[in-house]
Amino acid sequence: MRSFSEYDPKVVALYFFSVTGLAMFCSYPAITAMTLGGGVLYYIVRNRRKRIKSHLFFFLLFLALALINPLISHNGATVLFVMNDNPVTLEALLYGINSAAMVVGVLYWFRSFTEIMTSEKLLYLTGTLSPKLSLVLSMALRFVPLFRRQSAKVSDAQKAMGLFKEDNVIDDVRSNMRIFSVLITWALENGIITADSMAARGFGTGRRTQFTNYRMRRWDYLFLAADIVLMTLCIWAAASGAYTFEFYPMIRYRGSAEHKIIGEAAYGILVLLPVIVELEVNIRWKYLKSKI
Amino acid sequence: MTFTYPTSAAPALEGIGMTIEKGEFAVLCGATGSGKSTLLRMFKRELTPLGSLSGWVMFSGRPLEELDDRTSASAIGFVMQHPEQQIVTDKVWHEIAFGLENLHVPKDDIARRVAEMASYFGIGPWYDKDVSELSGGQKQLLNLTAVLVMQPELLILDEPTAQLDPIAAADFIATLKRLNQDFGLTIIIAEHRLEDVIPAGDRLIVMDKGRIIANDRPDKVIAGLRGRADILCGMPAASRLFAELDGEGSSPLTVREGRRYIESTYKNDIRKAETAEPEHSDETALEFREVFFRYSRESRDILKALDLKVYKGEIFCILGGNGSGKTTSLSTAAGLLKPYSGTIKVFGKKLKEYRNRSLYRNCLAMLPQDVQTVFLKNTVREELRDSGADPEKLPFDITHLLDKHPYDLSGGEQQLTALAKVLAAEPELLLLDEPTKGLDAGAKLNIIGVLKKLRSNGVTVVVVTHDVEFSALCADRCGMFFDGRIVSSGTPERFFSESSFYTTAVSRMTRGFYDNTVTVEAAAELCRKNGRRLS
Repeated sequence: MRSFSEYDPKVVALYFFSVTGLAMFCSYPAITAMTLGGGVLYYIVRNRRKRIKSHLFFFLLFLALALINPLISHNGATVLFVMNDNPVTLEALLYGINSAAMVVGVLYWFRSFTEIMTSEKLLYLTGTLSPKLSLVLSMALRFVPLFRRQSAKVSDAQKAMGLFKEDNVIDDVRSNMRIFSVLITWALENGIITADSMAARGFGTGRRTQFTNYRMRRWDYLFLAADIVLMTLCIWAAASGAYTFEFYPMIRYRGSAEHKIIGEAAYGILVLLPVIVELEVNIRWKYLKSKI
Repeated sequence: MTFTYPTSAAPALEGIGMTIEKGEFAVLCGATGSGKSTLLRMFKRELTPLGSLSGWVMFSGRPLEELDDRTSASAIGFVMQHPEQQIVTDKVWHEIAFGLENLHVPKDDIARRVAEMASYFGIGPWYDKDVSELSGGQKQLLNLTAVLVMQPELLILDEPTAQLDPIAAADFIATLKRLNQDFGLTIIIAEHRLEDVIPAGDRLIVMDKGRIIANDRPDKVIAGLRGRADILCGMPAASRLFAELDGEGSSPLTVREGRRYIESTYKNDIRKAETAEPEHSDETALEFREVFFRYSRESRDILKALDLKVYKGEIFCILGGNGSGKTTSLSTAAGLLKPYSGTIKVFGKKLKEYRNRSLYRNCLAMLPQDVQTVFLKNTVREELRDSGADPEKLPFDITHLLDKHPYDLSGGEQQLTALAKVLAAEPELLLLDEPTKGLDAGAKLNIIGVLKKLRSNGVTVVVVTHDVEFSALCADRCGMFFDGRIVSSGTPERFFSESSFYTTAVSRMTRGFYDNTVTVEAAAELCRKNGRRLS
C-alpha cells in the first residue's frame, strides 16, 4: 500500500544498484533497451506530465551520444556511406545507439534515485555502515546552508556599512575575499559551541545507537526477495555467457537460447518492479475511493 | 570554591559557597563578566573550563568528578545562549534523539522517549522538518527538548532567552516553570532579562566580580540591594520602582504586586505629570510612500503600502512582532532589497538617484541584527583602522577593547564596536536592527546614552526593536508595525499608554492611577508628588 519511494532505503538502494549495475556490466542490446524503457517508464509514472524539459534534455543527449560514435569510430564491416573520405559503418552506428541507450537509461534511473533518496535516507544508509560517518555527514548537511546564509548576511551587512565603496569588480572581489576569510573564523567559533553542546549530551562516552525512523516491513521483505532472486537469475545468465554480444567487426552473439530467455525475462521483470508497485497502489486507492 | 583561568591573574570565581535544594528554581543574575557562565560551567563536568580550581562541587551527595561519564552527561542538562550553534544535526527528530544515541539507549526506548517528549512540547507538527526551517524560539525549544529527553535531574540554562524575542522568551520561561512544577525538576538559570524569570524563581543569586553577593528569596534579595543601581537596573519594573521610592518591607516583583503597592501606599490624586510636547524638524530624513515588497512573484506581500516619515534629528523606534516586516523595511531603506512598487526617499532624494553606492557615503548606514556579521578582522584596532574610524573621536569610549578579538567581546561591547565602525562613514541616517538583543540592562542603558548623544550631533536614528522598555526610554517617536505597514505612531508616552498589551510594565502598573506614564522614573516622580497615604 506504500509507494515505492516509501520503501525502506536499504531496499530502494539495493534495487537501484542492481538495475544500473547489471545495465552497465552487460553491454547487451536487450538489457540496454529494457534499462532505458524501464527507466523512462518509471520516471513518467513518478512525475506524470511534469519535467518535460528533462525528457527533452535526455533525448538530445541520446542523439548526440548515438551519432558521435559512428563519426569517430570506423570499425565494422558494413559500410553505409562515406563521409569526408571516412566510412560510416552500420556496426559503429548500432554500437553508438546501444551505449547511448545505456548511458541515458542509467541516467534516468539515477534521476529517480536522487528524487527518492533524500539526504535523510542517505544518512540512514551510511549509518548502517558507520554511525560516526553518518553523524559527520549530517552535521555537514546542516553546515553548508548555514555557511551560505551567513555569507549572504555578512555581505549585506558590509554593503550597508559602505564596505563596497567603489563600484568596480576589483573592489568587489577583494571584499569578497575578506568576507570569506572571516567566515572561516566564524565557522571555527561556531564549531566550539557545537562541540560543547555535543559533549554536554554525552557524545564520545562509548558506543552509539543509530536511531532511525525506518523499519523493514512485510512488503520490504517481499520486494527485497524478488530483487535478489531476479538479480541472481540475471547474473547466472550473464555468467553462462548468454549476454555475450559483439559489434565489431560484425554483429555476433552466442549463448544458449534458454539462458537468454530466462535472463532477459528476469531483467524485464526487475526493471518493471517499481512500476508494478506503483500500479498496485493506484488501483488500491481507486478501489478504496469507489467504496467510500 | 575559587577558580582562576590560566591566562588571567585575578580569579574568575572567588569564595563561592552555595547549596541548591532538589526541586528548586534558582535564578542567577549579575552584569556581563561577573562570572555567571563560569560558575554554571562548574556544575557541568563536560564543560568545565581549564584553570586552577580549589574547592568542590557535590551533586546528589557525590562529588561531581566521581560520576561516570554517562550519568554525568544525562543527569545534568545544559542549555546555552545561541539557539543555532547548539544544534548538531540537520533534522528535528535526529536532534532530539542525539543524546540518547550517544548513551547507547536501545532503539525502541529512543523511539518511545522521543515520541513522549515531542508530544509534551507540541513538536509533533515540525518533527520531520529541517532544523533550518525553525524560528529562533522553536530552535531553543528544540535544544531544551533535546536535553530533557535524557531525563536530567538538574537543568542548567545559560541565558537561554537572550537571542529570542520577548514573546518567545516569555513562552520559554513559562515552559521552564511548568517543568519545575510538574516534575520537580531542579533548575538553575542565568538571565539578563529578569522581568519574567524572577517572579518564577524560588531563589535569586546575585553575582558581582566573581563573588556571590546575595542569595535568598527574590523579594528579600531585591530589598537588600538598595544602593546597587548597576544591579537593580536589570530587575523587574515593580522592583525598580520600589527601590527608587525607598520602599520598606519585601519588594513587589510582578505587575500585579506593583499595582497593589502603588494603590496601597500612595494617595494618587495627581494623575498627570507636566510634559512638553516634543518638536521635530519639518525636514524628512527617510520617507516611505506606499511601498510594496515581496520576495518572489508567487510569495505574499511582506510590505503592504508602507507609509512612514522619519524627521531629521529624531530617534524613531519601529516595534512589532516577528515576521511583521520590520527588518524587511530597513533592508529596503538601505537599498539591499528592491520594492516592486512605491518610492523610498532618503533626505528628499529617491533611492534610485543615489548612484554608484553613493548612498553609503556620508549618508546612510545600517547595522544588522547579528552584529558578528560586521567584523572582518582579528582585533578591534584593525577593525577600526580598516573602516577608517578614529577611537578618539567617538562619542563613547572603547579604547580598552582595542586589542581584543571582536568575537571575544560581550554583546554590548560588540554592539559598540560595530557602531564605531559604522560611524566612521559619518552617516546622517543610522538604521539599527535590534541593537539591544542579548544585552544586559547596563549595556542597554549605555546604548541609549550613545544614541541620544548621536542625536544631539544631528544624526537621525531608526531602530527596529522588540524591546518596549528600551524604546520607551530612548525614542522620540514610536511606530507599531503590523501586517506590512505602520498602523500607529506617536511619542512613547502617548503610544504606550494607548496600547494595553504591547506596552511597558510600568504603563500596565500605573494604568488607572496615572496617565501617560511609561518609565520607572516618571512613575516614581508622580508617586513622590502624590505622597504616601497616612496610615
